[in-house]
Amino acid sequence: MWKLIIRNTVARRGRLALTLLAVLLGVTFVTGSLVLTDTSRRLLDDQFRTAAAGVDLTIRDAAAFDSAMGVEVERDPLPAEVADRVRAVPGVAAATPVVRGRGLIGVGGKTIVPAGPSLLLSWEPAPVGPFTLRAGRAPAAGGEVVIDAATARRHRIGLGTEVTVRAERAERLRVVGLAGFGSGEGLPETTVALVTLPEAQRLLALGGDYSEVDVVAADGTDVRRLRSAVAAALGSGYEVSASRDVAAASAAAAKTQISSLQMMLLALAAAALLVGAFLIANTFSIVVTQRTRELAVLRAAGATGAQVMRSVLGEALLVGLAASAAGTGLGVACAAGLRDLAGVFGMTLPDGGLVVTPRTFVVAFVVGVGVTVSSAFGPARRAAAVAPVEAMRRSSADRLSGRAGWGRTVTGAVLTALGAAGLSIVLAGPGSVVVLGEAAVSTVVGLALLGPAVTPGLVRLLGRPLGVAGVPGRLARESAARSPRRTSATALALAFGLALVSFTTVLGTSIKESTARSYAETITADYVVESARNEMLGGLPAHVYHHVGELPQVAVASRLRYGHWKDGQSVEALTAIDPVTLPRVTSLHMVAGRLDAVAGGGVVLAANVAKERNLKVGDTLAMTFSRTGVQRLPVVGLLRDRDAQALSTGYVISLDTYERNYREHVDASVFVKVADGVSRADAKRAIERALADAPTAQVRDQAAAVAGRNAMIDQVLGLVSVLLMLTVLIALLGITNTLALSIIERTGELGLLRAVGMTGAQMRWMIRGEAVLVAALAIVAGVGLGVAFAAGTVAALGRTVEATLTVPVGQLLLVVAVAALAGLLAGLLPARRAARLDVLTAIATS
Amino acid sequence: MTITSVRTDVAALARDVVKIYGRGETAVRALDGATLSIPAGRFTAVMGPSGSGKSTLMHVMAGLDTVDEGQVLIGDTDLGRLSERQRTLLRRDHVGFVFQSFNLVPTLTAAENIVLPLTLAGRRADQAWIDEIVAMLGLGDRLRHRPAELSGGQQQRVAVARALAARPRIVFADEPTGNLDSRAGEALLGFLRHAAHELGQTIVMVTHDANAAAYADRVAHFADGRVVAVTGDEGK
Ligand SMILES: Nc1ncnc2c1ncn2[C@@H]1O[C@H](COP(=O)(O)OP(=O)(O)O)[C@@H](O)[C@H]1O
Ligand SMILES: [Mg+2]
Repeated sequence: MWKLIIRNTVARRGRLALTLLAVLLGVTFVTGSLVLTDTSRRLLDDQFRTAAAGVDLTIRDAAAFDSAMGVEVERDPLPAEVADRVRAVPGVAAATPVVRGRGLIGVGGKTIVPAGPSLLLSWEPAPVGPFTLRAGRAPAAGGEVVIDAATARRHRIGLGTEVTVRAERAERLRVVGLAGFGSGEGLPETTVALVTLPEAQRLLALGGDYSEVDVVAADGTDVRRLRSAVAAALGSGYEVSASRDVAAASAAAAKTQISSLQMMLLALAAAALLVGAFLIANTFSIVVTQRTRELAVLRAAGATGAQVMRSVLGEALLVGLAASAAGTGLGVACAAGLRDLAGVFGMTLPDGGLVVTPRTFVVAFVVGVGVTVSSAFGPARRAAAVAPVEAMRRSSADRLSGRAGWGRTVTGAVLTALGAAGLSIVLAGPGSVVVLGEAAVSTVVGLALLGPAVTPGLVRLLGRPLGVAGVPGRLARESAARSPRRTSATALALAFGLALVSFTTVLGTSIKESTARSYAETITADYVVESARNEMLGGLPAHVYHHVGELPQVAVASRLRYGHWKDGQSVEALTAIDPVTLPRVTSLHMVAGRLDAVAGGGVVLAANVAKERNLKVGDTLAMTFSRTGVQRLPVVGLLRDRDAQALSTGYVISLDTYERNYREHVDASVFVKVADGVSRADAKRAIERALADAPTAQVRDQAAAVAGRNAMIDQVLGLVSVLLMLTVLIALLGITNTLALSIIERTGELGLLRAVGMTGAQMRWMIRGEAVLVAALAIVAGVGLGVAFAAGTVAALGRTVEATLTVPVGQLLLVVAVAALAGLLAGLLPARRAARLDVLTAIATS
Repeated sequence: MTITSVRTDVAALARDVVKIYGRGETAVRALDGATLSIPAGRFTAVMGPSGSGKSTLMHVMAGLDTVDEGQVLIGDTDLGRLSERQRTLLRRDHVGFVFQSFNLVPTLTAAENIVLPLTLAGRRADQAWIDEIVAMLGLGDRLRHRPAELSGGQQQRVAVARALAARPRIVFADEPTGNLDSRAGEALLGFLRHAAHELGQTIVMVTHDANAAAYADRVAHFADGRVVAVTGDEGK
């Protein structure tokens, strides 16, 4: 049996090649995503473990939570006496105070701005400090610095070079050594400046305080018991943790971005595999149809239905195995490319040796083989149902293949109608995003079932223009309409890809446009100063606000800060404002209460937040801050939703309240109103001069500020669109594949056409016409679905945020044009093959 | 392309034609010095045993294939000098075909199949002429049907109509009755003879069946890749 299956599969390798390619691409995508994210995770784990390797306990100021949205919270520094108190605890071999913060390294007048953090640390020799000297010596006095070897090499910084380290204060320091981290030359996308403890305290304006105290336990001491003892000695104001746990928590925080990236990549891979599944089902179903006679002969010779079914599934298994094996290999190879791609779109992932876990192999093979075999299941069942008498029938090609059954059509129509109803409910008002998701699934499944029934009509309608092209055009249309099941499956696969592309495009554009609109309406400032680095909290040094505010060219400067807080388990964000100056650079509309009341320590909520939480002015909201724990803030006002959106969050507190509850002290934005009688250009120049000591700060006009806010969306959109192209590519392979197979099936007919005088050129146009027609069908269905569901999503979102549908006609037309052109391209190969058919062999085949 | 015939009596000519399939050990001389002239306006049968090379002869004479040696003329056009594309256009405009089976494009109606060569050429059909052949073949009530809805005999009649539709210089039929029962076969042969005698259409039919050949005006006996004898009204 297996010998027969293998021989069959090999004999049909040409017909199965594109199927194999489709599965292979899907598996490559899955493997690549897993390898990439595993590698990044492993690197982060290693990095933090190395950092904590020589230490047993870490003592920090107590905090209600460690990190939020991937950002570690800042803690209050520890007073100097903590170290002394720890040293007095029996079992402590060493208690080393450590200072860590952020400091940019500047060399030759240029500031190095890495994609990742710029660390400033107090130097500690191993085993407490994770850095090891590669050249030179450790910093021994103020004015000396050791930097990581990777940064030194990249920026050609040698021993003896003078660099500027810019933290709370800036100082010129001489490089006396170069350090490596673990076995590496540094940390990925990071600059590291290591200075003496007092120098670090000075640069970070810590006075005599420390960031943390690292404890090494004496030999033979039980670390857990020591931890309790130290905690008891220090009291509840301090947090004593196993250093290993701290490292794990830090790694986990750093990994949150990777997790969402992984989710996104796997979702896209799933889309690609789904499209691949359509292609596989189609291929096997065509191959089974073409083999009807052969299968009937097998049945007549005594093969059971189950054996026939097994033989088809066996072929699928072989294809799946081959594709999974190749795809896994290719995926590992592509992981680095995927990282580069993510990097192009602003998602920086650490670089390092690839991690291929057994899990990756298992997932790749389960997915590859699973998708192939389950897609072939339907055709296999049909193969098993072939009756022995069919061997006697004249020709299987004569039977019009794939007329739709009644049950299937009705089910499809009902599901499609349900989906449309769900979408209308959402568009009309009450439905949620969940309803929309269900409607989408229902519609896609419904259309897949309904497809064969409606395809002939649609194809003839869409194919009207082809009639102008004479007989070849008409024949193209008719042959697409003739096998509705095949045509609809091929078109749906492409439609699905195109629907995702247009959905993303429309949704992204709508969100961006809505952001721009609410920003333009709300922010009346002439300029906004923001950090060019895309940091979660903004990352503008506090002194920028002061320098800018002091300029005579500036009438008003008002700053915003962002902070995270927790509501039970869920992490929320808030915006801190200056209630006195903010109204002068914005136009905010209160729904209830007053904005300036936040000065009294209360919170202003976005109207939709208040509604969702069932709060009104006068109620209190319990907010958990990392630094101060649970605080009950009175609700003092409600802000119009779109204004809140312009301020980025639905919770607004005063900067004073912020300062009481947060250690963070970076600004997100500084809004500037130019003084009367000063030209905007002059003011801008003055501000830029004032920003000389803040290398990452940028002066933005409104358009640039909006662009900065939309940069994240652009990045995600860009990456998603590029990766969705893979799905579209697989769908196009589907068109090529279906056409190539149907050409084999129609050899006799094509030969006849050539015999009675169809020229090669006419035949090529006929096949290409059919490809374009399938693409057109997919475009109509796909773009329609994509736009409709994007409209639904925008409507659902519109209930909580300012969101209006914007249909980017130009971009959608581009999608349509590219898809049509790609359809033409997909038909190129089959068309050439058809035109090259030897007329005589073709006639002989009939 | 126009073909002007100097010798109106000869519609097509094969002279010393050799056609070899394959190479070396397995080479087959399908045609081995075949010579045949086809008089215009007559119904000629090429008869011989299976495998004797009849179909091959028809293919090279109709411009479906090229020869290895010798010369093939349709009118006075030497097919050997034509490119692949020119041969296609020649077939479209001047040659009609009836094959043993699968003569029709399944997606087109009978009427559309009949005018297929004309529409491929972008020419308008001569409606009076089409009506005449359709009436002769008794296809009037079948024109809107698709091939799958026609009987085997009807399908072959549609094929004959298509072969005649463009008023070709010559019609080739390869075992046109091979898949038909004897009654349908006889009817079809009657039509072919009628087309030659009443409409002046030059027809060449390849067959292994002596009964079928009996309908023709002339019979070229074929064996081992060459014409061994020609019998009939003006045998030479
Ligand atoms: N394409 C081909 N390749 C190889 N041999 C062929 C091919 N076509 C025909 N032949 C051989 O040429 C000989 C003549 O074939 P054919 O012209 O079909 O004979 P007939 O039509 O008289 O039965 C046969 O031996 C056949 O096997
Ligand atoms: Mg033959």
